[in-house]
Amino acid sequence: MPIGVALAITLAVARVYGNRPISLLATSIVGIFRGFPAIVTLFIIFFALPDVGVFFSPYWSAVLGFVLVTGAYQSEYVRGAIQSIHVGQSLAAQALGMNKPQEIIHIILPQAIRAALPGISNEIIYLILYSSLASYIGVEEIFAVARSFNSLEFKPIEIFLTAGLIYAAMATVCFAGFRTVERKLRIPGLEVAR
Amino acid sequence: MADGEVVLKVENLHKSYADIKVLNGVSFEIDRGQIKVICGPSGSGKSTLLRCLNLLTYPDKGRVWLEEQEITGQISDVNKVRQKIGFVFQEFNLFNHLTALKNVSIALEIVKKMKKEEARDLALKELRKVNLGEDAHKYPAELSGGQKQRVAIARALAMNPVIMFYDEPTSALDPHLIGEVLDVMKKLAQEKLTSIVVTHEIGFARSVADEIMFMGGGTILERGRPDELISNAKHEMVRQFFRRMNELYRREGE
Repeated sequence: MPIGVALAITLAVARVYGNRPISLLATSIVGIFRGFPAIVTLFIIFFALPDVGVFFSPYWSAVLGFVLVTGAYQSEYVRGAIQSIHVGQSLAAQALGMNKPQEIIHIILPQAIRAALPGISNEIIYLILYSSLASYIGVEEIFAVARSFNSLEFKPIEIFLTAGLIYAAMATVCFAGFRTVERKLRIPGLEVAR
Repeated sequence: MADGEVVLKVENLHKSYADIKVLNGVSFEIDRGQIKVICGPSGSGKSTLLRCLNLLTYPDKGRVWLEEQEITGQISDVNKVRQKIGFVFQEFNLFNHLTALKNVSIALEIVKKMKKEEARDLALKELRKVNLGEDAHKYPAELSGGQKQRVAIARALAMNPVIMFYDEPTSALDPHLIGEVLDVMKKLAQEKLTSIVVTHEIGFARSVADEIMFMGGGTILERGRPDELISNAKHEMVRQFFRRMNELYRREGE
């Protein structure tokens, strides 16, 4: 499934974007992939790029497309989280003699990622569901199989319900997984809820 | 340790934020082992001064020397300069995602490139010095204000700075917690750790400071030995300030 691959890559990509919101390039990239509907992005990669000589298989088109789209969305979560970190944390890091990269990697990001985790986990679960769009560029995935099944057997209720349930099952597993991750990363005393 | 060796020299510092002139020609020196206290009403530029000296912000005009090295103008590595200055913030600014121990040791590891064990041991030693050896594993959110500030002091000390800056270290603390932090600071002062302390704690100044510098309107209005300034200032504004302070704090005895 393209999801697994997209997961890891998008987080890293999102971090890079989130770090330099000032940078015009990052902002435009984010703007493009949040502006275009995911399906359109997929189609451009798979159908349009070949016109300029860039060829991707259905699977890799999907991976690339989703990485870009979810990366763009997640970068906004990360950016918001970074900007919510108190400026004092930066000042303290600088006062100790840390340079910018050290400050960002050791002080800012650990706190920002924790803050962005709910949003990121939400986005990743959406990603699992959105992967169904990949069926439209020829990827052999659940929804595609469901559709072709349906055209053979004509049992839409059972077929599509089952497909939906499979997605739901994956999403549920992810929900539980993320709850564990959030719990493991929790900083004592810093919980918001009372 | 050479006596009378100038650790920090400040010459004619100016700084504006937008249209507001916050520092309007500040000059002074501090020798090794001296403790200087900066007093003054809010907005007189005290915090800005410290942050200019630490290069957290940059002055518009003026020159600063740290141990003979000029740190204003073009310097190759601003971080090396900051390492030599220990800074304690009013709001503590402890790293929330790290334990007290890690707060103190992290800069040792990544800035001074110490080995993990070495950094940990040094951090533990510093925490013990501020009476927090037992709480090293706690996170900032689990600590009281006074404990947090003591961790902050330990964190600054661990870097072995040549001078310490305290920016109103007790102003954000509940009254009953102020004492524990002042005690630590007094102990460090007795060990002759060169320090500049911005504070309203007159009692602390009186017992520990070599000199008080009173700031108002962006300049040093008057400076002198604590007894002189507190009871017998020449400048009217300074006299009024200390008179009001004495009234407020008289019941605390001293």
